[in-house]
Amino acid sequence: MEQKLRREAKALLKQGKVDCIIGFEAGSLKFTTTPLITGAQEATSRLVINPFSANNLSVFLTEVKGRVGVVVKGCDSRSLVSLMQDKKVARDDVVILGIPCSGIIDLSKVEELVGKDRDEIDDIARDGDRVVVTVNGNDRKFPIHEVLYDHCLGCEFPTPQEYDILLGEPTLPPGDKYQSASLAKIKQLKDMPAQRRWEFWRNEFERCLRCYACRNICPACFCERCFVEESEPQWLLPVPRWQENLMFQVIRNIHVAGRCTDCGECERACPVNIPLRSLTREMYGIVAELFHYKPGMDKDAPPLLAAYEATDTEDFVR
Amino acid sequence: MTQESPWEPELLGFLCRWCSYAGADLAGTSRRKYPANVRVIRVPCSGRVDPLFILKALRLGFDGVLVSGCHPGDCHYQTGNYYARRRLAITKKFLEYMGVESQRVQAGWVSASEGQKFAEVVTEVTKELKEIGPNRLFTDESQANGTETAP
Repeated sequence: MEQKLRREAKALLKQGKVDCIIGFEAGSLKFTTTPLITGAQEATSRLVINPFSANNLSVFLTEVKGRVGVVVKGCDSRSLVSLMQDKKVARDDVVILGIPCSGIIDLSKVEELVGKDRDEIDDIARDGDRVVVTVNGNDRKFPIHEVLYDHCLGCEFPTPQEYDILLGEPTLPPGDKYQSASLAKIKQLKDMPAQRRWEFWRNEFERCLRCYACRNICPACFCERCFVEESEPQWLLPVPRWQENLMFQVIRNIHVAGRCTDCGECERACPVNIPLRSLTREMYGIVAELFHYKPGMDKDAPPLLAAYEATDTEDFVR
Repeated sequence: MTQESPWEPELLGFLCRWCSYAGADLAGTSRRKYPANVRVIRVPCSGRVDPLFILKALRLGFDGVLVSGCHPGDCHYQTGNYYARRRLAITKKFLEYMGVESQRVQAGWVSASEGQKFAEVVTEVTKELKEIGPNRLFTDESQANGTETAP
């Protein structure tokens, strides 16, 4: 898959079909990747695909100019389609290199399972439905679902929905078996009384630094000017108080409703580990329940909140 | 508010200029009685109401927010209330998930001829807000009363 990607990427650049390629290269830390944005043919040999290719690269498409070849997983491709629905990206301007994804490994889960730090782990390798973790020359095997990100466990469409070149055989979703594990944190919250839930989020948002990493990494957060930076009127203060932080995140979630594809990047980007996916995934569920809408499935469909049906739910209206 | 007077909920109403605002007007001119707990902001259309307005109102300490517009099919701009309906549906559900009492975010369809209905909606909503008590969502525990305003 990796070799095919390098070949295809190089050819696209050589033939002048794209001005640049956006993909993954090995990160500076073990078991990480970092985005590679390049127009140089020789740099394509640095492209990688591995179970740590976490970034949703479609986020760069609103910034990078010209025709672009972009590497996407299933969820990323839906974000990209969602950007097309919002007319932020033109289909003709992108060549989509699709990775049929089999899940991204959450390093913190591996670290917890083996009780070792990233630097003490020699190797993490995928072996079918298992993952082999090598520490001090000893192999330990774990079922893959114990180390994948929560959102990967609940993945519905691991193979890109929209692509020009598919880099491997389509993969199957993990299936209903892991849905409950994927939604465990949300279930826990829903079982609490409302007041406890509010207190939970209040506590979480006391840690928020308002670094906006969640916003900046999110392909659905594409406003050129974010409402938090408006000063007339000033909707909220830049001061990182929990009230402002919580309000920011609620509005952000409303803004990405019908655009969020549960790629989990906001939670991964958060430096203070606020369980942001427990918000975005719930909104994803609300949108599915109320409007039977799945974001990023049809590039010609209007965005969820720019459309309506005469029969939309109104059981809450007096 | 003096300390002796009993707590009264404050309800912020966003009323559409064509239907609900005229409905509220009719309630007044026809001498309908309804609680004086509602503060009205006139908006051109229920579709003008950004979920941000609702959050901001709760943040400022209003005990409840009411968004009211024309009945579906009767929008002056044809479709504004349909868009509002979708936005309100997700906003309300999401806030409930966060832990906001569902009674704090309210919606209604009130036409210009429904003065009676406007009075009823405000009466019902006020009653529900009295039952759930003051909005202390955004107050720090140290602050005893629920009327903290944004600095």
